[in-house]
Amino acid sequence: MANEIGDARIRLPEQIRKGEVITVHAIVSHPMDTGFFRTREGNPIPAYFIKDVVVTYGDAEVARFEWTSGVSRDPMVTFSLRADREAPLTMVWTDNKGGVYRQSANVAFATA
Amino acid sequence: MPSLLSRRGFFLRSAVLTAGAVVGAGGLRRADALLRIGGPEDPEPSNEEVARILREISAGRPIRRGHVSLDMPAVAEDGRVVPVMIESDLPMTPEAYVKGVHLIVDHNPDAHLAAFHLTPAIGSCAITTRIKMKRTTWVRAIIETSGGELWADYTKVLVTLNGCG
Repeated sequence: MANEIGDARIRLPEQIRKGEVITVHAIVSHPMDTGFFRTREGNPIPAYFIKDVVVTYGDAEVARFEWTSGVSRDPMVTFSLRADREAPLTMVWTDNKGGVYRQSANVAFATA
Repeated sequence: MPSLLSRRGFFLRSAVLTAGAVVGAGGLRRADALLRIGGPEDPEPSNEEVARILREISAGRPIRRGHVSLDMPAVAEDGRVVPVMIESDLPMTPEAYVKGVHLIVDHNPDAHLAAFHLTPAIGSCAITTRIKMKRTTWVRAIIETSGGELWADYTKVLVTLNGCG
């Protein structure tokens, strides 16, 4: 992604039926530097990575991920969600330098 | 009074007694093997850090194979981006669910690479992501249920290009 750090996308299925278990795709733009590399000039590149992801559905926290710099650059994750109500799904990514990035997607049911 | 002993207490006692007997017979290495958290066919921790992580997750409980699958390529061409899929067939209901998923890469600088804390609202324990791998090593997926059981799957991944620096 040629985006700015913290740009994030959440993708939900286009059609969701009430009660079904859906797959959520999420990606955030971040370098995820390990702290083990150096620049071409030999200067160390400090560790800079997403360390915490909180997933909220409506008002309820439904999942929390603890990451290290071992997750690849521009970290993506997919997980499931039981779509039992219409509510926003919000994800908040926090990095080790205090950067906080937020994105939401609406769980809405298809009108038959 | 054996009838008053819990099953768990009984097994712990037997394990300690057995280990003691083996140490007594001069078999320190065998005692180590007996006290392992996993089964005899499971990969041993590659280093002390992995052993520490496994002890921390285990907290004295056995880690058995089953109920979770760890899908990764057998050969990772690029260690900077290695796909991982972790799935469990266990239910996700308020009464019984998978509450934690641990991903451990033995030979990575930060071996306890990720932990995923779940609730029943998730509906199904199925996680995919992409990780970095330094070199060829065992990868471990360990799940913890709301009832405190631990289940694991292991896979060895051949890494041809170091992704960790």
